[in-house]
Amino acid sequence: MCETVQALKLGQKVPDFELDTYDPVQDDFGSFRLKDQIARKRWTILFFYPADFTFV
Amino acid sequence: MGCDVVTVSADTKFVHLAWKKSEGELEKVRYAMGSDPTGRVSRMFGVYDESAGLDLRGTFVINPEGTLLNSEVNFYNLGRNIDELMRKFKANVYMGKKANEACPSKWKDEGDKTLVNPGAKMVGKVHEALEG
Repeated sequence: MCETVQALKLGQKVPDFELDTYDPVQDDFGSFRLKDQIARKRWTILFFYPADFTFV
Repeated sequence: MGCDVVTVSADTKFVHLAWKKSEGELEKVRYAMGSDPTGRVSRMFGVYDESAGLDLRGTFVINPEGTLLNSEVNFYNLGRNIDELMRKFKANVYMGKKANEACPSKWKDEGDKTLVNPGAKMVGKVHEALEG
């Protein structure tokens, strides 16, 4: 069992959001913002997983 | 085709850093590791499990206009097939350029058979369209 809510639907515009990130290439903290992706005309793949230090 | 992969879990960026540096399996990882400790973004995509405070294995493809084109959500114990994710991503990029074409299930890459102008004429004749 799990408790989730169904939110976004396919074909919908995704509301802008921001995430704090760790960027392994720069070995530094940063942020990801959907608005920047749209401004830069880039695709985004979001890949959710349960937790760090587990068997992904 | 510019694309950025961002992984997301409820862990903080500090834990992402520690995990990346300690786990040998992540040595080649180059994508940004996003942190969603409040579950706000995860809820938006319907993958936040309120009973556990964890994210289900959800994958989402968003085009450069910000439109959600794919969603796939697996329960905790099933891993994702990256080949299938890449197939769907390539198909979306292709269809973004060719608005009158559709990519059938066997489509793998540019040059493979597509369905051109799927419409009334193709009803009952998909087999012929795919073979032709």
